[in-house]
Amino acid sequence: MLSNFADQLQKTGNFLEREVFDNNLQAKNELLGNKKFQKLAPTIEMAPVSNPAEFLRAHTDDSKNPDCAIKIAHGTTTLAFRFQGGIIVAVDSRATAGQWIASQTVNKVIRINPFLLGTLAGGAADCQYWETWLGTQCRLYELRNKERISVAAASKILGNLVYEYKGAGLSMGTMVCGYTKKEGPTIYYVDSDGTRLKGDLFCVGSGQTFAYGVLDSNYKWDLTVEEALYLGKRSILAAAHRDAYSGGSINLYHVTENGWIYHGNHDVDKIFWEIKEQEKSFNNVVG
Amino acid sequence: MNHDPYSWGRPSDSMYGEYNREIANAPTSMEQHTSSSNFNEHTTRPIVTGTSVVAIKYKTGVVIAADNLASYGSLLRFQGVERLHKVGKTTVVGISGDISDMQYLVKVLDQLSMDNNYDNDEYSDNVDELQPSYIFEYLSNLMYHRRSKMNPLWNALVVSGVDSKTGEPFLQYVNLLGVKYASPSIATGFGAHLAVPLLRRLADSEEQAAELTLEEAKKGIRDSMRVLFYRDTRSSKNYSLAIIDKDAGITYDNNVDVEDMSWKFAKDIKGYGTQKV
Amino acid sequence: MMTGQHGSQPIQHQFNPYSDNGGTLLGIAGEDFAILASDTRQSVDYSINTRLSHKIKAISPSLTAEFKAQNPKMIGTKNSILFGTNGFSADGDALTRQFEENWKWYVHDQNKSAMSMQSAARNVQHLLYGKRFFPYYVHTIICGLDEEGKGCLYSFDPVGSYEREQCRVGGAGASLIMPFLDNQVNFKNQYIPGTNSTERRKVDYLSLDECLKLVKDAFTSVTERHITVGDGLEIFIIDKNGVRCEYHDLKKD
Repeated sequence: MLSNFADQLQKTGNFLEREVFDNNLQAKNELLGNKKFQKLAPTIEMAPVSNPAEFLRAHTDDSKNPDCAIKIAHGTTTLAFRFQGGIIVAVDSRATAGQWIASQTVNKVIRINPFLLGTLAGGAADCQYWETWLGTQCRLYELRNKERISVAAASKILGNLVYEYKGAGLSMGTMVCGYTKKEGPTIYYVDSDGTRLKGDLFCVGSGQTFAYGVLDSNYKWDLTVEEALYLGKRSILAAAHRDAYSGGSINLYHVTENGWIYHGNHDVDKIFWEIKEQEKSFNNVVG
Repeated sequence: MNHDPYSWGRPSDSMYGEYNREIANAPTSMEQHTSSSNFNEHTTRPIVTGTSVVAIKYKTGVVIAADNLASYGSLLRFQGVERLHKVGKTTVVGISGDISDMQYLVKVLDQLSMDNNYDNDEYSDNVDELQPSYIFEYLSNLMYHRRSKMNPLWNALVVSGVDSKTGEPFLQYVNLLGVKYASPSIATGFGAHLAVPLLRRLADSEEQAAELTLEEAKKGIRDSMRVLFYRDTRSSKNYSLAIIDKDAGITYDNNVDVEDMSWKFAKDIKGYGTQKV
Repeated sequence: MMTGQHGSQPIQHQFNPYSDNGGTLLGIAGEDFAILASDTRQSVDYSINTRLSHKIKAISPSLTAEFKAQNPKMIGTKNSILFGTNGFSADGDALTRQFEENWKWYVHDQNKSAMSMQSAARNVQHLLYGKRFFPYYVHTIICGLDEEGKGCLYSFDPVGSYEREQCRVGGAGASLIMPFLDNQVNFKNQYIPGTNSTERRKVDYLSLDECLKLVKDAFTSVTERHITVGDGLEIFIIDKNGVRCEYHDLKKD
C-alpha cells in the first residue's frame, strides 16, 4: 500500500487541494503569484521516488541512523486528565534533534481557541502546523454553524486528516482538550496512526511512563483544583527528571466551563529543588 | 508510529519496513562514484564522463580549460570531445561529468541562444544580449529543478565570461545538486583538490584577481592542466583553452597540449608496475 | 523546450539529493535592534568551495532616493526582514528565493509597505512544511523589528516548527556557540554572587555593542574549532534607522 503513496495522492487529489477557495483552479498543480495565499494550507510535495515514505525515513529517522542528514525536532512529555473541576493539561518544554537539545522553551500547548487546547508531542512541526490548521477549521465551523464546535468533532477533523496521511511519515501524539455544554470536560487522544480515543487520563510522549507512574498512583476524581494542578505539574516533573528527552520548564493549564486558564510556566531546575525540599522526596538526589 | 518510550514518535518497522540505509548513504558527488561496490548499483549514474574543468579570473576576463577526453569508466574511450561551449558572445560554459547529459545541456543552451537571437539581432531596437549571469541563472535553476525531480543531470558546470555591458568578469559554479557558488578560481572534480590550491596562490580574493594579468592567469591554468595530467588517471594531454576578455572577446583554442612535463618524479615511486623493488 | 525525458513509470534512482555545505548562522534580538550573522565559507566534504558566499539576504522595500542620500551605508529600511539559511545551500537559496517572491506579492497585493515579522514567520512555516515529505535540509533564522519596534527573531527547524526567541545559532557551530549564548544573552546559570546559587541574575537586554562583541567572539572561537567555519563574517544589523552590513575577516585555514 505504501509503495504507491504518491500515486494514490495524485489520483485522489490531495486533501488540501480541496481547501482551495479559488473555484477557477484547474488541474494545474502549481499556484502562481498571489493565488497561493488563498489556500489555507500548501499542497505538500512528495519526493518523486517510488516509495516516498522510505525516502523520507532514510533521511530523517535519527533513532535508526544518528548520522542522517535532517534531524527533525521532537518532544516530549505531555499529559491531560479529567477530574471533578475540569481538565488539567501539563507539558514540558524540551525539543530534541537527535542528541542535541534544540530548545528548552518550546510551547507545547496550542491554543486552538478560548475553549480548546491541543498538546504537542512527536514531530514539533507536524503538531504545530496541523493544530494551527485545526484552529482555522474550528473557526470556519463556528462561522458556518453559529455555535462552537464540539471536542469530538474537532478531534475527528484532526483524526481524519492524519489518517489521510497515514504511512507518509507524520509523527504526532496529541490530546485535544476542551469543554462544551453538551459534552462537559472532554479529552480526545489523537495520534498519527489515526488512533482517536476518548478518555479520562492520558500521558503521551517519550516520558509518558514516568508521568503515568506518578499520575496513576495519586489520581482520584475528587481532586481539588489546587491538588489537580499540583499533580499535573508533579507528574511532568518526574518525567523531566528521568527522561532525557523531556525537561526545560512546565506549562500548566486548567480547562473549565468558561474556557481554559493558563497557570504559568515553571522552570524545572527551580521547582525541582522546591518540591524536593517541601515533599522530602527525590531522596536519591543529593544537594 | 513507534510507541516504545525509547524511540517514541519515530517510524516503526512494522508500518514502514526496515530502515533503508542505502538511501541515506547514496552518493551526491561524481567522485564518490568511481568506487562501485556491489551494493551501490545505481540506475542513474554517469557512464561516459569528462574530468575536471579549471578556470580563473584575471584583470579583464576569465581563462578556462578542460581536456578533450571522454572516459568510459577507466577506459579512456573518446578523444577530441570538447567540453567548453560558447554561448552568446561573451560566455563559455565548461562541463564535467556525464557526457550524454552534457550533450543535452549543449542542446538546451543552443536553443536558448537561438531564441534570444530572434528578438535581439542587429535589426532590433532593444538589444539585450545573453550575459553570463543570465546563462548561469538559467542553468542553476535547471540543475536544481532536476535534482528536485530526483532525476539529476550528472554534471558540474562552470560558467565563465564577461558582462558585455559592464566589462565585469564572471565565474560561477553549479553542480548536479543545484549547489552554486562564485569564486576567483574554480575547478571541478579532481581539479578541486589539485588545481584550486595552485590557482588560489595566484588569486585568493576578488581583489587579487583584479590585479592578475592574462599571462599569469594562463600560466596558472597551464600549470594546473599539467599537474592534473600527472595525477588524474582520467585526464588527457590534449585540452581546450578559452579566454574571455572584455576587449578581445572569446579566444578559443581546442587543441592545446600539456607542455614542459617532467616525469622524473615517477621513477622514484616504488611499488607499482613491472619494476623490481 | 523542456520536454519529458522519460515515460510515466515511477523512477527509482539511487541518488542522494542532499549535501551539507557547512557554516554557521547566528541571530540575536536586542531591545530595539536585531542582528543576524553568518560566516562566508561554503564547503563540501573537506573542500572549501568558496571563501565568499552569502547565506543572509536583507529583504527590503525599495529604497527612496531620499533615504539613500541620508543613509548612504544603509542597504535596507527598518521594515526589512533579514533572512538567513544554513545547511544544504541549494535548498537555502531556493527557500530564500521563494520567500522573497511571497514577500513581494504580499506587499503588492495588500498595498502594504512591508510584511510584519509575525506574518513572515508563518509564511516561512508554510514554505517549509509544504515540503514536509521531501524536506529542505536547512536551518532558518529570520530577524527584524516587530510591530512595536522591538528586536525580533524567529528560528525554524527543517520542516517548519518555529519559535520566537532572543537568540539562536544554527548550523555547524550550533553545539559550540548556543550554550555560550544561553549563558551570555539569557544569563542561564548565572547567579548573584553571595547568594549561594539561589538567586538568579535578572535577564536584561544587551546593548548593540555588547551583542556585536559576542557575535565576533563566537565566530572567531568556532572558527578555531570547526572545520567548516571560517574565511569571513557578515553581520547584518537592523534597527530603527535601517539595515547595515559589516564584514570582518575570519581565519582562512
